[in-house]
Amino acid sequence: MFVPCGESVCDLAGFTLLMPAVSVGNVGQLAIDLVISTLNMCKIGYFYTDCLVPMVGNNPYATSEKNSTELSINAEVYSLPSKKLVVLQLRSIFIKYKSKPFCEKLLSWVKSSNLAKVIVLSSSHSYHRNDLQLRSTPFRYLLTPSLQKSVQNKIKSLNWAEMEKSPCIPEISDSEYCIRIPGGGITKTLYDESCSKEIPMAVLLKFVSEGDNIPDALGLVEYLNEWLQIIKPHSDDPTASALPWKIPSSWRLLFGSGLPPALF
Amino acid sequence: MNSGVWEEVGCAKLWNEWCRATDAVHLSPAEAFCVFYHLKSNPSVFLCQCSCYVAEDQQYQWLEKVFGSCPKKNMQVTILTCRHVTDYKTPESTSSLHPPFLKALKTQTSKESPCCSLLEQPNIVHDLPAAVLSYCQVWKIPAILYLCYTDVMKLDLITAEAFKPVLSSRSLKGLVKNIPQSTEILKKLVATNEVQSNIYT
Repeated sequence: MFVPCGESVCDLAGFTLLMPAVSVGNVGQLAIDLVISTLNMCKIGYFYTDCLVPMVGNNPYATSEKNSTELSINAEVYSLPSKKLVVLQLRSIFIKYKSKPFCEKLLSWVKSSNLAKVIVLSSSHSYHRNDLQLRSTPFRYLLTPSLQKSVQNKIKSLNWAEMEKSPCIPEISDSEYCIRIPGGGITKTLYDESCSKEIPMAVLLKFVSEGDNIPDALGLVEYLNEWLQIIKPHSDDPTASALPWKIPSSWRLLFGSGLPPALF
Repeated sequence: MNSGVWEEVGCAKLWNEWCRATDAVHLSPAEAFCVFYHLKSNPSVFLCQCSCYVAEDQQYQWLEKVFGSCPKKNMQVTILTCRHVTDYKTPESTSSLHPPFLKALKTQTSKESPCCSLLEQPNIVHDLPAAVLSYCQVWKIPAILYLCYTDVMKLDLITAEAFKPVLSSRSLKGLVKNIPQSTEILKKLVATNEVQSNIYT
């Protein structure tokens, strides 16, 4: 359930919800970290649930000593009212059998908050691509029918590739075709539930492999930015060196602590 | 607990694959592993001794059962826990660390000054201590967690002594007496808990 930080009730009617799916390479979550960090978003509440493994730590977006001591938990909500943007960040995995209940609780909150649309940032295993997908852009999108009417033209103008259907049961030659997102975590469940509940939802995903997924996250936020224009587009000028996206301070030591000098 | 008279007031019974008890249904209080005491001289002070692993799918229910019945007004929570030092991430080489050492995390509403430095990013806390602290943060209960990073796998005097500064903290100093003699008391406690190795008998 959504629990606000402060005393005042947040009115999120008409806002766009951006959220990650816990998926291969954690690309969605890394991308959301970049959005929150770059836009310096304010925490407005927690999504307190028994569906995610508990974890706590100090402020992952700290920029100074003063703001580094704010405690963060596994599911938090941030907002930027000037852009009518609200972001949910998930920082841990689902407890066994709790991913479907989570989707239900989340979508019920989406409906009761009158959010305009939901955008899920996700990823899928790159080794599952077919020959055509191997030769094309690694980015894909999906829209639920209730969102298609309002954004189809904009998406068409961006020349984006829609996620292709693949055989439901790959081993069977005459199997039916459906949307499959291997490695996408709750992406498919969220998409299917949103279709049936008529929730305007878009899925933006990238085909990735596990490893250093920071470049994938940067790619995914740039892809998102082509549509939402949340920051000024990266200029085509090759001499422009400044990265428009702010790397959060918590992205240090992703591959472990410092090495003992005696090793060398 | 050596400093006052504590009376057992309840227990939380749970079973998972990590528990030593074999019968999940008929757990005796001794096997319950989460025992609650209150201080006889001041019954509003509770202590919970949790000596088992509370699995991730049990943590939320544990919280609801324990905190659900507690009045949240004017409640203060202190959590003491340990992790192995290999869990601690630092830009310096790990050979520069000197375990055991304490780190703290506290909720927004906690006004207490920790007796050690705060846990730096990107380090995080998991399991029941994280579940309790998350609950306190969400429901605005002042809470502080002291985490001891140690390089041993079982209870020893040096690790237990690392918590000594916590005994002088604002919330706990009223409960502890005889701090100078604490080393002797701790030695006795550690000795009784040690399982004698019988590998050569």
